[in-house]
Amino acid sequence: MNQTLEGTELHEQTVLDSPWITLVWNDPVNLMSYVSYVFRSYFGFTREEADRLMLQVHNDGRAVVATGSREEMERHVEAMHDFGLWATLQKADA
Amino acid sequence: MIPFTKTENGSYVAGFTDVETEIIADLAAQIAGMLGSLVGSDDPLFEAVGIGGSSLLNDDPAIARLLPDAYGEDAVASSDFRRLTEQSLATRKVANARTVIDSLARSGEALELSGQEAQAWLRTLSDIRLTIAARLGIEHDGDEGDTDSDSALALHDLYDWLAYVTESLLDALDDCGTRWMT
Repeated sequence: MNQTLEGTELHEQTVLDSPWITLVWNDPVNLMSYVSYVFRSYFGFTREEADRLMLQVHNDGRAVVATGSREEMERHVEAMHDFGLWATLQKADA
Repeated sequence: MIPFTKTENGSYVAGFTDVETEIIADLAAQIAGMLGSLVGSDDPLFEAVGIGGSSLLNDDPAIARLLPDAYGEDAVASSDFRRLTEQSLATRKVANARTVIDSLARSGEALELSGQEAQAWLRTLSDIRLTIAARLGIEHDGDEGDTDSDSALALHDLYDWLAYVTESLLDALDDCGTRWMT
């Protein structure tokens, strides 16, 4: 039943649309080491890539951490919210 | 606190005093209580499939930070997404907080966490610090937050100490176990 719900609601929107992105935003609370750990453990980034993205979040206020379908990006955003990171999704060209 | 270390069998051990144990358990219980009040829909069907969340960002800045909007520039999409996912997100956060409480309740001087429990700890420590920051008005890098009262200063100390606990757990999680290899 769950699968049917997801299938009808989300799939039709993702097939034809342009890519979506997941953004992680800077916050004054989460530790830099924690943000880097989340990027490594959840997305599977190397330490170098995770640290680069973490510093981009810290210095530029935000970083794109994933690109793909709307459904995938919604899953990533929810996972980031699980970790307490501030994340949003939007269309890549927005 | 005795910092976290990774053991031979892949668990994570640390030592907390009775007071420290009580403080962390109490803070975790506050997170569970704060978010637990949002969990549970009037509609049993919605509840069964984990949907039925609210449609708007919560008025309480702490709850708003723990359950933020998913779409930065699209209020309608954020609202739709929140209705579908807020309940399950809040439920997972409450479950993480309860894992922290349970692990502290069963431990004596030494706390021992499984890998899964360590993940619940990390997330709950972040949720607690985000909540304290919201209460102190720490919103941007460099914000001092409220320092006007003794209780605010005590919260600052707690906030910093919880960062230390988090760093300690992260160090242990990042330890690939090489020290145990012979």
